[in-house]
This record gives sequence, C-alpha cells and structure tokens, in this order.
Amino acid sequence: MVESREFEGKTVEEAIDKACRELNLKREQLQIDVITSGSSGIFGIVGTRKARIRVSPKEMLPDDQVKLAKEVLENILNTFDVPVVVEGSVKNDQIYLDIISNGSGLFIGRRGQTLDALQYIVNKIVKKEISRCLPIVVDSENYRERRKKSLVDLAKQLGRKARKSSKPVASSPMNAHDRRIIHLTLKKEKGVRTKSKGEGAFRKVVVFPVRKGNSTRGGAQGSSSRKDPPQAGRDE
Amino acid sequence: MLKELIEYIAKALVDNPEQVEVSEVEGEQTSVIELRVAKEDLGKVIGKQGRTARAMRTILSAASTKIRKRAVLEIIE
Repeated sequence: MVESREFEGKTVEEAIDKACRELNLKREQLQIDVITSGSSGIFGIVGTRKARIRVSPKEMLPDDQVKLAKEVLENILNTFDVPVVVEGSVKNDQIYLDIISNGSGLFIGRRGQTLDALQYIVNKIVKKEISRCLPIVVDSENYRERRKKSLVDLAKQLGRKARKSSKPVASSPMNAHDRRIIHLTLKKEKGVRTKSKGEGAFRKVVVFPVRKGNSTRGGAQGSSSRKDPPQAGRDE
Repeated sequence: MLKELIEYIAKALVDNPEQVEVSEVEGEQTSVIELRVAKEDLGKVIGKQGRTARAMRTILSAASTKIRKRAVLEIIE
C-alpha cells in the first residue's frame, strides 16, 4: 500500500473516487498527481480520452502522528477509571508517549509487561490507520530508561562471569528489545561473544568467553559454535 | 469499563468494527469478557502466535486489579 498506483476514469473525479474505494483511504489521505485529464471528445464519440491519475498514500507529519498515537492510548487508558495524562513528543525518530498517573506502577506491570502490551496494541492500531508511521514507545515513570540501565549492568555482570569461569553463561529468557541491549553492551567488550538461543518466549542470550590471543568474533570455544556464521544484524 | 476497554481495542483492530460484539458475564470475583468478531477478523484479534490476544489480556488484567477483580478474556469463534 506504500507504493504509488495508477487509476483511470472518465473524469479525474471518477478516477479519484475509484482510488479511494480500492485503497480504502479518504481523499485527504492521498497524494494525487493527474497524468492526463480526461476529455469527452466531440459529442462523446471522437477523441475520447480517459483521465489517468497516480496516487500514493500521503505521509503524515510527525506531529499529526503523535496526536493520533496519543489519542489512541488515551482512549484505552480512559476506560481504566484512574486519573491519567498522556504526553506525546518525537524523540530520536520515535514517537514517545509518557503516561503520567498516580505513580503506582499500574501501567508498568511486572517487568514492564503492561507497558509492552500497551505499546504493542497502540503500534498496531496506529499502523492500521497510517501505513508509514514512526515506531511508538510507551513509557511511564521513566521505566524504559531504568530498565535499560539495569540491563546494561546485567550484561556486564554476565560478561565478567563468562570471562572468569571460561564457560558460556546464559541469561534468563527475555524479549527481543531486552536481548538487543545485552548484545549491544557486550559488543564493545573484549574477550566475550554473544549469541541468542532458544525459541519464542524462551529465547535468551548466551555469553561465550573468547580464548586469549584470539579476540576476533567467531573464535569462540567449542566446535559447534564455530560453524555458525557470525550473525550481526538479524539476531540482535 | 472492562467491556468498553476490549470493545475499543477490538473495534480499532478489525476491518469490520460493526460486527464486534462484547459481553460481560459478571461473577462474584471473576468477570468473563466474551469477544465476538467477524470470521475474517479472528486472526486480527488473536495475532501471530496469539500475541495480540495476550496483549489484550495483559491490559485487561491491569484494568481489573484496579477494581479488585479478576477478568478473563474469551475470544469466541
């Protein structure tokens, strides 16, 4: 739905109507370029030409995206029966929604699972409305930053343990975002190498010690891990 | 209000919001929220490996702790 498409009609108006119907978008949401405006020719017989237009979904301004995302989150939270305010802004190419409430942690949940659920649902609803949208981050009481800090600490601890014991050390299962922070933190550290293992909700990060004098990635202990190509992007 | 919560989310996710039906069966301690959607929208409210359904259940249980109750979301085929 992101790419542009062409439509035909007897008149430009008719072509636009057709485009709206087929793409299931409102006229305001479309970027319309007229290729040829139709002509009915002489008496509608000689020289009739169809109107051709090219349309693509219009990109929404970041400020409008924030407004929409904020509205969706507010609609969800207003059913909660708790006084709550949502503040929206654009931060590092992301839409940042901050839930301000009584500070009970109600919207954070155990290990941020309520925040993650809200974030997932809001992203899904907004993506349905506008196909090209900045990623939305839902936060409350600065939880995301605090969580990041504790994950960085955890990563360093796992790294130390792996180096000291010369044995692979596994983290507890965690989601993709949390694993990414572990991978990125240990990428800079020498003497260890990281890899994700396990399936679905049980996926965890394993930290391998790297033998001395061989600090390149992939030079880890154990013959099984040597066969694996160094995976940089996808796994992190 | 638990009903409104699920109703809003479900209507915003599906292609046929007019076919979304939510009913609440209230018990003493537990409420059962029943969600019915059009057949072709079933996948939208369940999501890949049940991710959307799980997210809705998580939000629902957060909302229900506020009123000291337990809530269960049933998606009815």
